[in-house]
Amino acid sequence: MNGLIQTLSDILNNYGLRQEFAIRACFYSLAVLACIFGLGVVTLRNIFHCAISLAMTLFCIAGIYLFLNAEFLAAVQVLIYVGAIVTLFLFAIMLTAKIGDRSIRQTNKQVLASLAVSAAILSLFVSIIIGSPWKKAAADDTLRLGIGELGKALMSVYALPFEAISLILLAALVGAIVIGKAGK
Amino acid sequence: MMIPQSHFLILGAVLFALGLYGALTRRTAIGILMSIELVLNAANINLITFNRFLGSPDGLGQIFALFVIAIAAASAVVGLVLVIAVYRNMKTIFTDKINLMKW
Repeated sequence: MNGLIQTLSDILNNYGLRQEFAIRACFYSLAVLACIFGLGVVTLRNIFHCAISLAMTLFCIAGIYLFLNAEFLAAVQVLIYVGAIVTLFLFAIMLTAKIGDRSIRQTNKQVLASLAVSAAILSLFVSIIIGSPWKKAAADDTLRLGIGELGKALMSVYALPFEAISLILLAALVGAIVIGKAGK
Repeated sequence: MMIPQSHFLILGAVLFALGLYGALTRRTAIGILMSIELVLNAANINLITFNRFLGSPDGLGQIFALFVIAIAAASAVVGLVLVIAVYRNMKTIFTDKINLMKW
């Protein structure tokens, strides 16, 4: 009997370890995929492929949000970014013809300088992040924000920025229609 | 939580650097707008990461990430409409060809 319990707990322990490994593997593969597709967004020649790559990057970032207990944000990311913004980009690409040609240069003459600036800023950020003493796993899963809490906070404490954002969206809507209206 | 905070932040930094590189090197206005979306997403990752690890009780980070998404949508709409208006008038969206206001 003792031996059975021992093996059972061994299996459970193994399973726990494997689960942890699976979670880690999921996170790191999502992160690497996001970086690879992000690289595609900024380097691919065909702008249509860039937009598809952007959609994949945003999907991967939505997956990353799940690891941060932000399920609502992940859903919003998929709905608004992948569903609306990338579609908008695709429409804009199709409305402006002939920019996806392979013969046309897609980058300007500042490639080396921009690469140097970006690499310098990235190395600065990474060195600061690695050098900082972050708290080891502060708030555990006790602090899990549901959609209800989020909505209550949005309607009570953060009502003012919420109203401001709705005003901005309305202004963007009207402005887009006015600018995009064809004719004189 | 088995994944340390710094790894999320490094992912945000990498995405920010990629977006910065794209915004600096792209010739088409649409490409620049896409790169800016990458930068905004990097900011969102940082906001949600700090919300998760520093433990804001009413979800300040998540709510402002929502606001960032809304502003990104608004900026994408206005930017793309501007791109289409410029294309209608000048038949190009290459930013180095659009020099009407340069002397």
